[in-house]
Amino acid sequence: MSLPTYDTTKVLDGRAQARKTTKAQTDLLVRENRLGSISAPANAMIHIFFWLYTLACLLPLWLVVSVSFSDEKLVVVEGYRFWPQKFSLAAYDFLFKDLTQIIRSFGVSLTTVTVGTLLSLLVMTLYAYPISRSDFPHRNVFAFFMFFTMLFNGGLVPWYLVYTQLFHLKNTLWALIMPLLVSAFFVLLLRTFFANTIPSELLEAAKIDGAGELRIFALIVLPLSLPVLATVALFQTLNYWNDWFLSLVFITENKNVNLQFLMYKTMLDIQFLTSNSQAAAELAKQGALINIPTETIRMAMAVIGIGPIVFAYPFFQRYFVKGLTVGALKG
Amino acid sequence: MLQPANLAAGVPARGKSGAKSPSFWKTIRKYWVFYLMMLPAAVILFINNYLPMFGTLIAFKNVNYSKGILASPWVGFDNFRYLFATSDAWVITRNTILYNAVFIILNLVVAVAFAVMFNEMRGKMWAKFHQSTMFLPFFLSMVTVGYLVFAFLSHGNGFMNTYLLPKLGLQPIDWYSEPKYWPFILPIINTWKNIGYYTVIYLAAIVGIDQEYYEAALIDGAGKWKQTWYITIPLLKPVMIVMTLLQIGRIFYADFGLFFQVTRNSGILYPTTLVIDTYVYQTFIVMGDIGMSSAAGLYQALVGFILVLVSNAIVRRVSRENALF
Amino acid sequence: MNVLRKGAYAALMLLMVASLALSACAKKDSSGEAKASPSPQATSEGKTDSGSTSNLPPYKLRLVYPGAPQKDQKMVEEAMNKILQQKINATIELVPIDWGQWDNKVNLMIASREQFDILFTAQWNGHAVNVAKGAFLALNDDNGPYGNLLQKHGKGILETLDPTFLEGAKIDGKNYGVPTNKELAASGGVLYRADIAQELGLDLSNVKTVQDLEPILKTVKEKKPDMIPLFLRDGENFNSHYFAQYDYLGDATVPGVLLKDGDSTKVVPVHELDRYKEYLKITRDFYQKGYINKDAPTTTLSTQDALKAGNVFMIVASLKPGKDAEVANAIGMPGKIKQVEMTARTVSTGDTAGSMLGISTTSKDPERAMMFINLLHTDKELNNLINYGIEGVHYTKVSDNIIKPTDKAKDYSPGANWMFGNQFLNYLYESEDPQKWEKFREFNKSAKKSPGLGFTFNSEPVKQEVGAIVNVRKKYDPALDTGSVDPDSTLPKYIDELKKAGLDKIIAEKQKQLDAFLASKK
Repeated sequence: MSLPTYDTTKVLDGRAQARKTTKAQTDLLVRENRLGSISAPANAMIHIFFWLYTLACLLPLWLVVSVSFSDEKLVVVEGYRFWPQKFSLAAYDFLFKDLTQIIRSFGVSLTTVTVGTLLSLLVMTLYAYPISRSDFPHRNVFAFFMFFTMLFNGGLVPWYLVYTQLFHLKNTLWALIMPLLVSAFFVLLLRTFFANTIPSELLEAAKIDGAGELRIFALIVLPLSLPVLATVALFQTLNYWNDWFLSLVFITENKNVNLQFLMYKTMLDIQFLTSNSQAAAELAKQGALINIPTETIRMAMAVIGIGPIVFAYPFFQRYFVKGLTVGALKG
Repeated sequence: MLQPANLAAGVPARGKSGAKSPSFWKTIRKYWVFYLMMLPAAVILFINNYLPMFGTLIAFKNVNYSKGILASPWVGFDNFRYLFATSDAWVITRNTILYNAVFIILNLVVAVAFAVMFNEMRGKMWAKFHQSTMFLPFFLSMVTVGYLVFAFLSHGNGFMNTYLLPKLGLQPIDWYSEPKYWPFILPIINTWKNIGYYTVIYLAAIVGIDQEYYEAALIDGAGKWKQTWYITIPLLKPVMIVMTLLQIGRIFYADFGLFFQVTRNSGILYPTTLVIDTYVYQTFIVMGDIGMSSAAGLYQALVGFILVLVSNAIVRRVSRENALF
Repeated sequence: MNVLRKGAYAALMLLMVASLALSACAKKDSSGEAKASPSPQATSEGKTDSGSTSNLPPYKLRLVYPGAPQKDQKMVEEAMNKILQQKINATIELVPIDWGQWDNKVNLMIASREQFDILFTAQWNGHAVNVAKGAFLALNDDNGPYGNLLQKHGKGILETLDPTFLEGAKIDGKNYGVPTNKELAASGGVLYRADIAQELGLDLSNVKTVQDLEPILKTVKEKKPDMIPLFLRDGENFNSHYFAQYDYLGDATVPGVLLKDGDSTKVVPVHELDRYKEYLKITRDFYQKGYINKDAPTTTLSTQDALKAGNVFMIVASLKPGKDAEVANAIGMPGKIKQVEMTARTVSTGDTAGSMLGISTTSKDPERAMMFINLLHTDKELNNLINYGIEGVHYTKVSDNIIKPTDKAKDYSPGANWMFGNQFLNYLYESEDPQKWEKFREFNKSAKKSPGLGFTFNSEPVKQEVGAIVNVRKKYDPALDTGSVDPDSTLPKYIDELKKAGLDKIIAEKQKQLDAFLASKK
């Protein structure tokens, strides 16, 4: 970076002296954002803007919640309303009918999410670190190896054949975890962070001290990368939680599907009928019984899908706070 | 012991980066830990991504399962013809690329702007609150978003036609039958849904910026705008470049849910909403031919690949260390 | 910090071991394909199709069909096994798959050569494509690896099933699926709310043409402004094949038709038929007068669900005897729905191949599979077991052939009678017409056969053009057929794009194949 370097400590000390405050007090002021923060009008504008935007995000969600608690017939005839015209728990009743199955699927989801996220973080950071080191001559080859997978894939059928015919992973928990473990997107993101936020002096210092690569990685690089690790962990948690496709494709024992799939199953029936009007007509002609979930049930499914996320996000958000990294660096 | 001439002369082999680098085996010996660290992910990638790639040859075959994929007859480029046979071929290519280009730009500009604003906001509690709510639309499936949009744009009892437009004194519009509005509707929806995701990434990057830069600039007398422009943005450049390059790689792949569910697959809108993915899906639903859908996938991958190579080469010229590879 | 380091090393070791183990697995045969065709077994030699159990080795059959898994499935399977073991020394495993997952899962099962025996298939569900892919065994191939399965073990089928069914379902002269024995013909018409009609004093008994519907719909619109007089959608309107009597000679998405109620054997695109243009005009007229739901081109609601919601007066539907009672019961409005037949009764290939059971090329004992299908067509007890469950548990008998559901009925009600064998063996519900099967037989007999019956178009040679045309059709059909755009200005554009995508080539190919078929019949 071509920024002028300042011996900031000296300058700040000097200023502090002029102001008759201590460096510590100046630090405190800076950190609390009172010194050198934006003007009040600008701040106000930002707040107003975000309130409007938040409204734009929350209102539709409120609509979803409202419809999920409404009576079906009225919704079809009258359309969506922000407050249920007639309150009804029928949708949730329908979804929670088979409680044992729901608990079981929740267990499956929980397992895949925790094991998957932790394992994936480990595996991906282990790959991302070497390719972030500018002194590693082969880094570009491996970066390309990773990135290429984002562009080309052989298609659903060959991929399915590899998992089921070659490795016989059908109906296993591992089949729900493995496909999502390594994401080129996140690996490259991690690499960028490692390359740009870890000062090379630190690495040099550690090497001089005689630390091995693995030690440097575990004791220096990882603790300094908490924001990006939290980000990737969050996204992977969401990926594993929201996935329904792997259950669709690999699980034939219906009891072992994950929660999202259980919820989404009925949605697939609708999609089938709406995208294939010929099939729909034929099925109608035959008098087939397909339980198409009503509007309210679909909204209830959406609510259940989002619910856990609302709890997960604040948990990860702690790691985005400035203080953490600054403290670690100065330490 | 005999040694190859160049080694004897002490001339080091030239590595990929073009700079002087030690010979291949020396590197392996020196960095052996790195290879070990990368092994697990590499194996997983190999199994999950590279092994199935042999399936691209399905695009060139007319598959008969009882003969087996390998023994099925080759048909050359036949499976690709339906992608180019219609006047739609140009439409789908244009739509896919243009929409994605707009999405990439919006994702970049809006997300960075949001991230900066979050960073500068006073009242961290509110900042966290807004960050959370902004992230929520991301978790709605496109199917649900489709219903929400319908609640807004439905001809009969949608919000726009029954409340908003009459208030403004305008006539109701048949939204799902007018192609011209959708180049605006779709980017708005896409941004609304995805911006939380990108903002989080940029925010994490900003948080990692050393405070000292700002303190120094402060002392120099730089105001907030200058700080943002000369410190934050340049230091965000690596992340911005990576994110953009990755998205360029996918520029030929459209968000299927967005273009299928939200538009309710209304055929009348096709001039402005038909993209490669929906085009292929439609065909596949009717014909069930995996050779043809595989051909489409290959086509998309190839174009994306070329585009990324080109963009990456451009980035390499400008700021080498930020290139993907 | 020490813990962290130790933990890191341990994790790394674990991963290395895991990845080595995985790569060891990869050393297996990487062709990824199971043996292509099963080798014929010797068990069938010299056996008659009455197959006494002592001679046959036990075998487990897997039947894959679309539908929601039922709670009491195991119970029913056990009951079925008792019969099957006695008759053909086999047991059955029912494998239901929800519709939403059906296409995906079946495609993958076929591609990965998963072992199963019997698979539901239909002409509108990719039967022709799957046959081309090599998923199904030919059932009447004298030179096949198992001989002519229908002749050997399907005598019951051949005796009870109207030969028109098998004729109509042939592909290149061979049968790859056994059609369900049910109504053969179809007619087109409308279903409407009889209670509302009565309230408004409307008499629909003289309705013969679409034009006759005008005054009815007008009255409904005036007197009941909150109701939708006529609910249409893509695929369910006056230009649907069952209403306008278009025989698409196979897949309804491939252009080129004959008229089912006509005699011509010239294949034409629908837009060259007067009937098509007239229906477009009338529908447009209705739409502009406000009789049709405004979101007709894009609605995702099924016509039945629309009726169910309660604010729709009339829908277009494919009819058979008792359809109105069936629909009324299904949507919870018993007695409130009546039908009006408005077209001739016809039979086309699509009607004969609308529901079949095929035998997979991955089956290890196709002869046993054929025996099972034969039983579904002849054994009343087995047939009703798979359809209704166990007597006394899921239903009780009111009389010899009439049943009443118990409160446990919902634990086993696949509602898939139209997939399993011979519907004429089914028990009838109390609320149904006891004469239902007689009426069906009469309905079948009185039907006119389409000139194209027995012919299924093979779209392989023009696959690419069909793929391109699918999207053109989606652009225009929903809007045109529901009257939401002006046909005079839109139709020419539509025709133009169709031609550019290769319409003429498809029509020519269809005609060519049809002519060859007709010549071979003589």
